[in-house]
Amino acid sequence: MRRPAWPTCLLSLAFSMGENVVSWQAFKQAYLIRFWSPVPAVIAAGVLSAIFFGLTGGLWAVTGEFTRWGGHLAQLFGAHPENWTYFQIIGLKGTPLDRAGGMMLIGMFGGALAAALWANNVSIRLPQHKRRIAQAVIGGALAGFGARLAMGCNLAAFFTGIPQFSLHAWIFALATAVGTYLGAKLTLLPMFRVPLKLTKGGAKRNIAQDKQKASNRFRLGMVIFGLMAIWGVVTLLDSPKLGIALLFGMGFGLLIERAQICFTSAFRDMWITGRTQMAIAIVLGMAVSALATFSYIELGLTQKVMWAGPNVVIGGVLFGIGIVLAGGCETGWMYRAMEGQVHFWWVGLGTILGALGLAAMWDSVATPLATSWPKVNLLESLGPWGGLGMTFALLGLSLLAILWWEKRFFARQRQEN
Amino acid sequence: MVQSASDVVTEVDFQLEVWGEPCPYPVVATLDALKQMQSGETLEVVTDCLQSINNIPTDAKRHGHQVLEVEQQGPQVRVVIRKA
Repeated sequence: MRRPAWPTCLLSLAFSMGENVVSWQAFKQAYLIRFWSPVPAVIAAGVLSAIFFGLTGGLWAVTGEFTRWGGHLAQLFGAHPENWTYFQIIGLKGTPLDRAGGMMLIGMFGGALAAALWANNVSIRLPQHKRRIAQAVIGGALAGFGARLAMGCNLAAFFTGIPQFSLHAWIFALATAVGTYLGAKLTLLPMFRVPLKLTKGGAKRNIAQDKQKASNRFRLGMVIFGLMAIWGVVTLLDSPKLGIALLFGMGFGLLIERAQICFTSAFRDMWITGRTQMAIAIVLGMAVSALATFSYIELGLTQKVMWAGPNVVIGGVLFGIGIVLAGGCETGWMYRAMEGQVHFWWVGLGTILGALGLAAMWDSVATPLATSWPKVNLLESLGPWGGLGMTFALLGLSLLAILWWEKRFFARQRQEN
Repeated sequence: MVQSASDVVTEVDFQLEVWGEPCPYPVVATLDALKQMQSGETLEVVTDCLQSINNIPTDAKRHGHQVLEVEQQGPQVRVVIRKA
């Protein structure tokens, strides 16, 4: 199956308009309905996140804001989380509409929903087994707790953290790799398996979709997309940072849903089936992003560097176990929840509760695990070019390690057969 | 979205349905089902886990099997595989 590399979409649109044969139907089918190839999409996400940093000085990040949503939830129940130390660090003022992080999440949810509607991918899918609900909530909570302990999830402590040249993101990546390995072992235990529904064959199943419904859904997706885009532009005039956050959030939402970008699978599937495509894509995406981010930092933007302490190791391992158990990380559950996969609504709830739990117990763990440790900035410790060189050397090493693992995985498989 | 018209089969030897299950279970179930089959037999996997479109075909190929068909219709995905 050939799928279009999505950045070619604009090119081919330009060409076809030049020849005056632009066919809306063909464009719609190829670029709005078919899934995008994940590899160029991840690289595009890397570019987009670097530009977002350049424009706003902020990171593409999500769990900090989910923690604040947990804080609002606690406020509803009469608690005063605004006085907790953790919320003094990350802030808990106003509503999500007043914060770049909140607008980013709303944009991502809206973008993912619009994209899912375009392709008629929205369908309420209920979990078929009770144990999956438990898995979703516990996995989500572990991931939310671990992410906030480490001060970032697969974004701020990994995909957008490594391009910030913060040592904590490298430690988190390693710890997450270990955690996902443990998570993969756990998830494949007999207690989490259900019987195969394998039947003796016959004619192929009919999976045809209702054409009328599909085209209604497409229109609804376009309306949501259009309204959000207008909202973004209007906000931009008044408060540039919030408008940019909403519009970039939409872009990220579109990318993760349309290309089904799953950071969990990047780690997990290396261990389970030996597939390395997504892991390689993410390394390439971070390389592009690191270079672009570096140029902004050289021009004077302030980096986001976090404590490199035991909090990152423990947080990364818990996060790794949690995302594999839940079946999706912080970005993964967002687009799946919009597609109507109810399993991931539970994951979202677990994530918010887990993150809130960490915020509640922050005072007792902060000093020994995090705040007494240095914030190591690779561009300071090794100098700008040394830090950049080290980052690229580590990315190259990661690529080699991934390829080595793939080779070893299939060599072992051949021996077993 | 069909891979190659000449490879398309209308009848299959085995069918596997995976509904409402998150990753990695659909692809793990597919590889397990293939293990239970004889060489040359065909398997149709139908699932509503859309992510599967990124993993079932890639993994089936990487594990030596032949992918005859990949089709996505709205929230459903069909993959037809011939066991190596």
